[in-house]
Amino acid sequence: MASLLNEPVAPAEHLNGMARQSALLILPAAFLALAVGAPLMSDYVLEIGFRLLLLITLAEAWNLMAGYGGLVSLGTASFVGIGAYALTGLVNKAGLPLALAIPGGGLAGALLAVLVSRAVFRLRGLYFTVGTLALAEALRMFMVNYGGLGGASGLFLSQDPPGLRDMYLIALAILAVTTAVMTIATRSRFSILLRTVRDDEDAAAQIGVRPFRIKLIAFVLASFLMGMAGALQGLKVGAVEPYGMFGIQWTVNVLSIVIIGGQGLRAGPVVGAVFVVALSELLADYPALHLAITGLILILVIRFAPQGLVGLVQSRRGARRGAE
Amino acid sequence: MSNVLIQAEGLVKRYGGVVATDDVSLNLARGEVMGVIGPNGAGKSTLIGLLGGALVPSHGRITFDGEDVTALPASERARRGIGRTYQIPRPFLDMTVRENLLAARFSLHPFDSGAKARAACDDILERCGLADAAHLRGRDLPLLRRKRLEVARALALKPKLLLLDEVGAGLVDSEVTELIDLVKSLRGEVDGVIIIEHVLRVVRECCGRLLVMNFGKKFAEGATAEVMASDDVAAVYLGTAHGGAKSEGDSRVAAVPVKAAAAHGKAIAGLVAKTDTAADGKTPPVLELRGVHAGYGQARVLNGIDLRVQAGQVVAILGTNGAGKTTLSHVVSGTIKPTAGKMLVDGVEITGSPAHQISRLGLAQCMEGRRIFAPLTVEENLLLPARDVPTAQRDERLERVYALFPDLKQRRFNGGTSMSGGQQQMLAIGRALMSRPRLVLFDEISLGLAPIMMDRLYEALTELRAAGLTMLIVEQDVERALELADEVHVMEHGQFALSGSAKAIREDPRLRHLYIGTAD
Repeated sequence: MASLLNEPVAPAEHLNGMARQSALLILPAAFLALAVGAPLMSDYVLEIGFRLLLLITLAEAWNLMAGYGGLVSLGTASFVGIGAYALTGLVNKAGLPLALAIPGGGLAGALLAVLVSRAVFRLRGLYFTVGTLALAEALRMFMVNYGGLGGASGLFLSQDPPGLRDMYLIALAILAVTTAVMTIATRSRFSILLRTVRDDEDAAAQIGVRPFRIKLIAFVLASFLMGMAGALQGLKVGAVEPYGMFGIQWTVNVLSIVIIGGQGLRAGPVVGAVFVVALSELLADYPALHLAITGLILILVIRFAPQGLVGLVQSRRGARRGAE
Repeated sequence: MSNVLIQAEGLVKRYGGVVATDDVSLNLARGEVMGVIGPNGAGKSTLIGLLGGALVPSHGRITFDGEDVTALPASERARRGIGRTYQIPRPFLDMTVRENLLAARFSLHPFDSGAKARAACDDILERCGLADAAHLRGRDLPLLRRKRLEVARALALKPKLLLLDEVGAGLVDSEVTELIDLVKSLRGEVDGVIIIEHVLRVVRECCGRLLVMNFGKKFAEGATAEVMASDDVAAVYLGTAHGGAKSEGDSRVAAVPVKAAAAHGKAIAGLVAKTDTAADGKTPPVLELRGVHAGYGQARVLNGIDLRVQAGQVVAILGTNGAGKTTLSHVVSGTIKPTAGKMLVDGVEITGSPAHQISRLGLAQCMEGRRIFAPLTVEENLLLPARDVPTAQRDERLERVYALFPDLKQRRFNGGTSMSGGQQQMLAIGRALMSRPRLVLFDEISLGLAPIMMDRLYEALTELRAAGLTMLIVEQDVERALELADEVHVMEHGQFALSGSAKAIREDPRLRHLYIGTAD
């Protein structure tokens, strides 16, 4: 057993070091290329690109909570919906410009997170998951039944949404913000505290970590990002209604993306989103088959690659490195 | 600043109808090291939980450093300087060892420089003997290293009060010495220490004062030497570990009427399946390992083990922590496949067979850490290995296990893990016997038990030996293993460094050198 403990440097640490260096150069370059390339893209590419960027933003935010914080939420739809409704309200009633209304959607998401945190953090593990699902359903039912916000038929945005190319660029900008937030949150000492809470909340408290506070920070950050993504979606559609904006499909899509890509891994959401969007494009003409295949892939990934596709590649690479 | 570091008054903790601690009060002065001893299940860990803030008392008051902390959650008490360890280590499994410690530093001093925090953590790791493991994930540490990590993590808080919950369990003498030295070296940094421990050497050498608990209540309190010499304490806790009382256990057995003893022996014999002996007297060993190598991934742990266990024999495996004892028992039980070499049962090769097939051949095991199924009752746990057995036979075996351990019968409908550590170990042994095995592997059954409980378990093993059970014992406690075994192997670096009859080994000076290391 002694030789097991004398390994000089764990492979994971090694990989981290390389990833750290490359991220500083490659990430900004990638964003720049995606922005500069926008004028060359066809409408189809922009459409797919927008969807991809939006889903990656949501998946990154969800990954911060579930992958790094152990807070597996089924309430994604609440924050998307709140963001979309907030944007509509801020534009229609207050006449705010988009540059303020979109972050306003994010703030609405963050505010909702603060409001419900006392209640949902009383629940742990699976109970938290079920609690967030209940929250999402309750909000949707409220929106359907409450006439003041348009009820079941929803509201129209009073101004025309920007063109497709602009929407794509806005989505890219929001993803850039998300990436910056995620990079800071997962590289800093905050990530260490967040992971202690994920691994063992009681033991974390016993070394002075305040679990409520740490979870709240992650929850508010993630909800802010989700709210912005929701605002963007509301802007794109030009109208909001409860079934679409508070629909469970947001929750399910984001969850599948992160699980297929790899929970708690930085590259997981990107890889997962590309995979899921590509699959939905390939099977666009067979919607029933698409659902069945996505379900099958989820089962296979959970069974054979619990760390997702990214985790699978990493462990393969680690194994090869070990064999050398 | 008063001289009292922590004061607890009338602490009561109830779980439903069960009272875990009942009106316990204690006082710890600055600079004091106090020990808490008592039988398994006496409420010692509950007391630590109450002081550390993990548990909320039903009644009572706790004052720390002049402040009433009764209502404060664990995190706030930790920030005020109460550091604790868990008896069953709870490292952050998916974080590196260093990150486990950094978390404590960062939570207390979020704006300190990273380099300073890392240096402080590495210093603590060095002192706790974990410097070489800083990059490993918590998940990759074996049990005893996780215990070290518990201590290191509590120290990373720079606590004023340190609560140590059985950190010495399972350590060999030289490691116990290290632990004692560590506790003594803390004198200047930590204002007070409370130690729960069954390893009496730690208690004797570190603690000035002892508190004895029994059935949730304070049973005795006083200077260490006085308490250790007390006959009352010996009766509830120390057992034969109490100086000179060695013959007491024997006389107790003899006191049982001869007739009843015979019936008892017969009942227990019914739990042991006999191995058929060949007419020519050349019976192959029940279990044989030939040149077995095994390990985990890159790490080679076993380097050529040759082992024969004949029917009716008791073979003990001794060795320091990390010598490969647990890996060997995993190979025998089939949870780890050997990378080279052969394993034979009754002369038939079964190398690489899965665990359930090995158990079908009549090999049962009593695993390290007990592995009781918490959602099941005592009786349900016992019935598990005998699922396929006809009801009449099954009930008969159950009665025989209850004859061996009457404690279990009393608690047959209780939850498996609701009992004390010693009773859980009885359950683990009983469960291994329920399959009516020919050979049982006992892995570290005395780990973390009160001395008096070890006496009772080893009495049971002695009865089983008399009934003809073949046993392979992996043990930390040299004396007890030598008393029971016919043949002994001492492991070092994944090999048998010393083998022979128990008598020969006992007198071999190399045993002391190999096993006990540089202690004493």
